[in-house]
Amino acid sequence: MIAFILSALLSVDSISTPSHLIDEVVVVSAANEGRKRSAKGKVASIDEHLAELSHVNLVRRGSYAWEPVVNNMQIERVSTTIDGMKIFYACTDKMDPVTSYVESSNLQSILLNSGLNGNPQSTGNIGGSLDLKLKKVGFSPLPAPSNSPLGEGSRPDGSSPLGGIRGGLSSGYETNGHVQVYGVDASTSSHWFYANGGAFYRHADNYKEGGGRKVSFSQFRKVNAFINLGLRLTELDVLEGTFIYDRATNVGYPALNMDVSKAEAFITSLAYRHQFDHPVLNTWETKLYYNHITHIMDDTTRPDVAIHMDMPGESWTSGLYSLLTASKGSHDVQVNYDLYYNRLFADMTMYPGGAAPMYMVTWPDVGTLNTGVALSDLVSLPHQQSVKLSAKIAQQWQKLNNEEGYHALRVFFPGMKDHYVQTTGRIAATYTWQPSHWQLSFGAGWGSRAPTVTEAYGYYLNNTFDQYDYIGNPRLKNESAIELNGAITWRPSAHFSLGADANTFLFSNYIIGQFENRLSAMTVDAEGVKVYGNLSHATIVNTSLNAQWQALPWLTWNGKVSYAAGRDDDQDPLPLISPFAYASNLDVKWKRLQTRVEVRGNVRQTDYAPKYGETQTDPWAIVNLNTTYTLPLRQTALTIRAGIENIFDKRYSTYADWCDIPQKGRNVYVNLAWEL
Amino acid sequence: MKTKVLMLFLAVASLGLTSCNSNDDETGIVIDGIDLSQDVDCCSAEEALQVYKFIQTVKIIPELSTTVDDKYEVWAYSKTGTLHKGYNDLYFVVTKKKTGNYVKFFDITSITPLMHMVKMDMWHSTPVGGNFEVFDTTRPAVKRGWVSLLMNTSDAGSWQFSYNIEVLGSKGGVQNKAINVDALPDGQEWLKSFKVGDDTYYLSLVNPTDWKTGNNTIQAYISKKNNPATTPYGLATETFTIEIDPRMPDMGSHTSPDNTPLVKQKDGSYQGNINLTMTGLWRIHLTVKDTKGNIVAGGDDLKDGFSSLYWDVTL
Repeated sequence: MIAFILSALLSVDSISTPSHLIDEVVVVSAANEGRKRSAKGKVASIDEHLAELSHVNLVRRGSYAWEPVVNNMQIERVSTTIDGMKIFYACTDKMDPVTSYVESSNLQSILLNSGLNGNPQSTGNIGGSLDLKLKKVGFSPLPAPSNSPLGEGSRPDGSSPLGGIRGGLSSGYETNGHVQVYGVDASTSSHWFYANGGAFYRHADNYKEGGGRKVSFSQFRKVNAFINLGLRLTELDVLEGTFIYDRATNVGYPALNMDVSKAEAFITSLAYRHQFDHPVLNTWETKLYYNHITHIMDDTTRPDVAIHMDMPGESWTSGLYSLLTASKGSHDVQVNYDLYYNRLFADMTMYPGGAAPMYMVTWPDVGTLNTGVALSDLVSLPHQQSVKLSAKIAQQWQKLNNEEGYHALRVFFPGMKDHYVQTTGRIAATYTWQPSHWQLSFGAGWGSRAPTVTEAYGYYLNNTFDQYDYIGNPRLKNESAIELNGAITWRPSAHFSLGADANTFLFSNYIIGQFENRLSAMTVDAEGVKVYGNLSHATIVNTSLNAQWQALPWLTWNGKVSYAAGRDDDQDPLPLISPFAYASNLDVKWKRLQTRVEVRGNVRQTDYAPKYGETQTDPWAIVNLNTTYTLPLRQTALTIRAGIENIFDKRYSTYADWCDIPQKGRNVYVNLAWEL
Repeated sequence: MKTKVLMLFLAVASLGLTSCNSNDDETGIVIDGIDLSQDVDCCSAEEALQVYKFIQTVKIIPELSTTVDDKYEVWAYSKTGTLHKGYNDLYFVVTKKKTGNYVKFFDITSITPLMHMVKMDMWHSTPVGGNFEVFDTTRPAVKRGWVSLLMNTSDAGSWQFSYNIEVLGSKGGVQNKAINVDALPDGQEWLKSFKVGDDTYYLSLVNPTDWKTGNNTIQAYISKKNNPATTPYGLATETFTIEIDPRMPDMGSHTSPDNTPLVKQKDGSYQGNINLTMTGLWRIHLTVKDTKGNIVAGGDDLKDGFSSLYWDVTL
């Protein structure tokens, strides 16, 4: 659990998140030396930014909407929030993790809390919690602005050629798949008001795997527009609003049997923040939010479809949170109350040639009302020691609003009810000691999560990973885990560091699909049916070693290896656990030019899970080359990023590539960002 | 239960009725066109209201409706006002012409559907339920029975119906009245037959259109062909068990769990439970067994492994 401190960056973030409460940050839209960021800069996709986080892997079902996996746990065990707002994906096949409904240009940074030490708004975050921080230009300080918020390719001086309005243009092109990215943004800021917004367009054709073969159905197109507004009511009171519209169309999923014709999200919020002039109380923020997702699958462009089907899904969430921060003596305290109501509905209509359509409700319009109280305290102790404590308790009420879906599920669970109540909680503590040249930390926690709607009420959801139809189980018990973690870093000089960290999650009632031979599959060609069940116990362990050496002022080397393992109650491997992975890069810096050569790879996946339908993944290694050059142009700055990914055009797929779809082959990219 | 329901088509007429009807003050029930005065032969106001409500849910079959002695109107109903191949519920209601109220005591007997087979110039009947009886005591003036029609009207043949009725001593009925029998839409096969030795039996599936996704009661009758065939076929006196295996032919023969066989009930029908996981075409493969557990029909394995004896139901 290495804390990446990011005070400089977050000072311009209009919501002050104490950086010491966060495990890891990836910067999306600001230039900031020494911080994690994608080599492709601002034009990189959200998925490419997420890939920079060291506890994160990404499950790929195509070239769009990758599913973040934290500590080798998929999104069931990870909380994802946008600026603290709850949002739930609308696809029964997980084609749209909520990270796919924002664009890089919307974001300031992505914050990761590993494990149970979640951010205040997160619930069910056994593996970790991601908070996508929106990019808000913020108010200018008094007196008149002289120091601008840091943006990519910040202007050499503080003034702007456009007077009070600042703008930015960005564009990118990638040869593999003819990826085109165009972005524009603008902002204005005064002491009393700020506004920033932008629009983004991203387009990709089918990409080519290593060796040059085209991967069909890997195209996508996406538009995104956003605006953030801030109004200072008094010196201590602020009102902020956000609106994001995101729409992806014609999205191919080569790993699945269907594509997506439309995935659309509206995300809005209104927040009121009060800054206290008080010895103990710091800030109090209350945010109201609403978001709506529509997701429409489409198989009409696929050849040889056995049965054409329509599979739309919708998700509505509205909620609020209220966060109070205070500090007294050695304590930094956060108290958060949150409440949200989410509705998930999905159905499926199949059209066999000539016969009557077949209809089923796959998510029975489940309404979830969830409310919780979270508390965290960072206690600074003498001798560079600190203790971080966090806890949350939440209660949720679920109701199945769709009669047809409810009666269909009752076929399998005759005793089930149409409403359920669950209570979940988490508590975690981390102790950190930072004597000179060392940083040591260890922590422990316990937390539980309620089953997801898919796990509890999903109906014949076909999983192409193992070719089984999955049926939810309303009788599932909450899953819980004990987490133990520790990290050590040795930094004998400013030029060298060596670190190791490890965590383990000891699960009770681990939720996973279990064979049900009694039932017959629905999907043509499916192997059979699985019903979600609780395993009495399971274990996931993650370890990593990393080193950094700045050999010369212009030359830095980084290296990292990681190993993870997962076991079920029979000591058999769990699926989708990363094999031994390594990455090493060399950074060369010369004047305005930065170059990075990177090697990354996985060894053969020996610990795969045939029991859960997983096949072994072969070892792979690729080499990437990235360069960045910043060109000052009068009062503006132009940043050019170019590189070659997978230089040797290797054909490979990782363990997290759904159905072993191959990764991109050689790809040359050029990205431009111009700040006005 | 003092439901106050006003169904006024003509406010003036209703006012006229209420003024000379002593019952109204008591129950507040007014039904347009019906004189609800005390009449031992007819329904009370509450019963009449229940009958009235019921007949709003069904439609008159004009061909089978008639008058008796110019005193009573006999109304025949089915769900759609028409008949179709397979099982049909039939309802009879008799009204007094004078008051419009529903008569509680009447008997429908000898209902005889006959089909004329054009090519062979032969006649045969079809499975029918026993007597027409009151099936819901809250509406004692509605009598129900059923017919299960072997074929629909076509160039091959046509149907005619006869029945006798006795209302409070007056006799009447319908004789050899031609009536159309509709075919069922594609994906619906509710009547199947099987042979044991020289005997022919018919399996009539009752009203599958009421089914919904989820758990449903499945009901059927087993009738036995008569000799001569022009006599309506009554229920088979033997006891069978009908095992069911519902499959979706369009979904790779997907099936559902926990279906229970149809077993004989006191009323002579067979009942079991069927689970349907979605809408669409369900082919319910049948295995008919006798009391000793011997297979008497179906249960054979075709190439696809399912019984060749089946009902089709499309939800």
